[in-house]
Amino acid sequence: MIMAGGEGTRLTVLSEKRAKPSVPFAGKFRIIDFTISNCVNSGIYDVAVLTQYRPHSLNAHIGNGKPWDLDRSNGGIQLLQPYQGRGDQSWYKGTADAVYQNLNYVRERRADLVVVLSGDHIYKMDYSAMIDYHLRQRADLTVAVMHVPLEETDRFGIMTVDENQRIVEFTEKPKNRDKGTLANMGIYVFDADVLQRALSGGDSPRIDFGKHVIPSMIKSGAVYAYPFEGYWVDVGTIQSYWETSMDLLDPTNTLNLFDPTWRIHTRSEERPPAKLGPQARVSRSMICNGCTIRGTVEHSVLSPGVYVSPGAIVRDSVVMNDTWIGPGAVLDRVIVDKNVVVGAGVLLGYGDDFTTPNKEQGDKMNTGVTVVGKGAHIPAGLRVGRNVLINADRDEEHFPKDEVKSGETI
Amino acid sequence: MLRTLALILAGGETPALSVLTAERSEAAVPFAGKYRIIDFTLSNCVNSGIFNVGVLTQYRPRSLHEHIGVGKPWDLDRRIGGVRILHPYLTSEGGFWQRGNADALRANLDFIAEQPVDVVLVLAGDHVYKMDYRPMLQLHEELGVDLTLAVHSVSPHETHRFGIVTVDADGTVSQFEEKPRRTRSSLASMGIYAFRKSFLLEVLAGGTEQNIGRDLMPKLVGQTHVASYNFQGYWADVGTVQAYYEANMALLVETPALDLYDPEWVIHTTSADLPAAEIGAAARVGGNLICDGCRIYGQVERSVISPGVYISEGAVVRDSILLNDVVVEPGAVVDRCIIDKHVRVGAEAKLGDGDDNTPNEQSPDLLNTGLTLIGKRAHIPAGAVIGRNVVVRPRVADSGLFGPEKRVPSGKTIAAR
Repeated sequence: MIMAGGEGTRLTVLSEKRAKPSVPFAGKFRIIDFTISNCVNSGIYDVAVLTQYRPHSLNAHIGNGKPWDLDRSNGGIQLLQPYQGRGDQSWYKGTADAVYQNLNYVRERRADLVVVLSGDHIYKMDYSAMIDYHLRQRADLTVAVMHVPLEETDRFGIMTVDENQRIVEFTEKPKNRDKGTLANMGIYVFDADVLQRALSGGDSPRIDFGKHVIPSMIKSGAVYAYPFEGYWVDVGTIQSYWETSMDLLDPTNTLNLFDPTWRIHTRSEERPPAKLGPQARVSRSMICNGCTIRGTVEHSVLSPGVYVSPGAIVRDSVVMNDTWIGPGAVLDRVIVDKNVVVGAGVLLGYGDDFTTPNKEQGDKMNTGVTVVGKGAHIPAGLRVGRNVLINADRDEEHFPKDEVKSGETI
Repeated sequence: MLRTLALILAGGETPALSVLTAERSEAAVPFAGKYRIIDFTLSNCVNSGIFNVGVLTQYRPRSLHEHIGVGKPWDLDRRIGGVRILHPYLTSEGGFWQRGNADALRANLDFIAEQPVDVVLVLAGDHVYKMDYRPMLQLHEELGVDLTLAVHSVSPHETHRFGIVTVDADGTVSQFEEKPRRTRSSLASMGIYAFRKSFLLEVLAGGTEQNIGRDLMPKLVGQTHVASYNFQGYWADVGTVQAYYEANMALLVETPALDLYDPEWVIHTTSADLPAAEIGAAARVGGNLICDGCRIYGQVERSVISPGVYISEGAVVRDSILLNDVVVEPGAVVDRCIIDKHVRVGAEAKLGDGDDNTPNEQSPDLLNTGLTLIGKRAHIPAGAVIGRNVVVRPRVADSGLFGPEKRVPSGKTIAAR
């Protein structure tokens, strides 16, 4: 059961019109592709995706599950949205509540185990190894954990284990760094019966796995930690989204998208090959089918259908599907969503002022990355500074005459 | 619109494509990086609203069958109609191999008779073009003729490669000559025929003609009213190595005659599930077509690069066509070559080396323009120097075949023993 209902507010405009798992990543993928591909590559063909916030983009992407071979008559992929019942159903109040409201689905599938996953992480993991471990330990619940640097433990749920990897304590974002360095990855293997009991019994709140269910199960049941080593990122913020995208271009990056034994599947549109004009210069970049490049692209990730005009420069940026970049435009450290038009000569991500945070969302945008929402039209010749947020569908009349200063919002 | 069955002829052997058709039919030869040649005809069918399609196969069909599968990329995985592979089969009378495309149609007469259609549109699976068949079918319907064929003007120097037709002022075909040595007309038959179904059944059942262009057409032109439909758009028969090379290279110009980027006429294909192309720090990639799944760390100029190709740092690829999953090792130089799938070019090897343009000794009339061809899964040993007009047959993996010096002069052919 893949949790894909969260709003992902820290991704600002990228997740304004779509749920976070549906945000494009690495050019042609969506974030959720990693988790769904992990499922099928691990031999799990019974998959439910629990959606709530703005599900249209995600629904269209998943469709009948064909790209993952999940268009099956027995099992396959199922989208579970909140529904109306007689008195007892409502919006999902949290992860555990979402599973609770779909317990009948779990019963119908006659599953022995339920793997609860998060739809917004980038990683490759063989869940079948974790399931073997869960069975070997005869656990009620197994939680995947990974080591994080000690100074970052206050960002994670930290698990403290005994010598048998049994979890003895769970501390959400500990202030004191004395609980160890094993962070909760949000990947749980439950015994189906245990899960049912844990969610249905008692009077205590059962809204969130991390806050309510896991801590209470640690007290009463056999809960084990499964240590995972490998690439894993939660791309929950603009900064981490940008950094993770740039990391893909690092030759030493360990997330190998080319591994033939662990393909990441996605729904691809039919696009012709990328066309690089004679004057195009491309280095340290990822380019997808359907792109036309006549300018310069350096250290950037381009989704399908991006058009880079002659004389344009794209540097340290992420540009999503079908965005048009006009002649002479310069993009530096920006994330540009789909179908944006960047007018001729626009300087996007301009100047040395990386530190003035965004005035409206300073907590989310303070590292110098400028973000442009879906479908915006940036008028020709405009200068746009750093930490600027341009909302979706902004048109020429919304912009000032020649400059958008760093930290502004349109 | 008339109810239409499209039959795509994809069974012929095309020896003029050398190693490219050694292990596959021409219709299954990759083109423009990610496509196969038959994708154009299949996509034309569905884009023209024809969802009842048969593909006639015979020669080396495995690659083509695998590519078409259930027809999903073209939305031809349908309950009614859809795509069907029609392959020769054994009967209680013995069955037989088909001796030509008319023979192939005749072998499927029972299938054609069963289809609830008015028109049978016979198409070639080995042409590259984008064509809406609807105006042609409309003309066929308005004129109420038994047969309409599509024509396209070609260079007078190339008329010997085509069926050449002469038409009257009203478009009626008055003469059909198959591959004439000398002719006054330069209108070529495109191998696209719209037959009234009952007429086709009658003609095939009553005759023994083997080939549509050679035997059937000249006869029918005198027998009935044959209309012509003049098609003006891009159309290429890529049935020779030179034509195949030129059609690929023509896609690299600023505004190619064949527009693959038209959202109104998408060419569909079976795509491998591969990540974005990765371009390294030292790569130079101006002037190329590249596909998803490529990894380019070297220098590539004026080339068409299929999915999954790996070009190492320090390697140079120039004026070439590299098909899927070719690996070019460090320091290798590839110049004016067509390299089939899964070939490994060893480090420091030179392919297409020198100025000696000696034609290929085995097919001097086909390979004489300096193109070197490497067959599928061949392995070019490190440090080998290979001239022009050379053919390395598929699956040549023994480096001993390249001689002690690993020097292969222009015009040689290397085949497994």
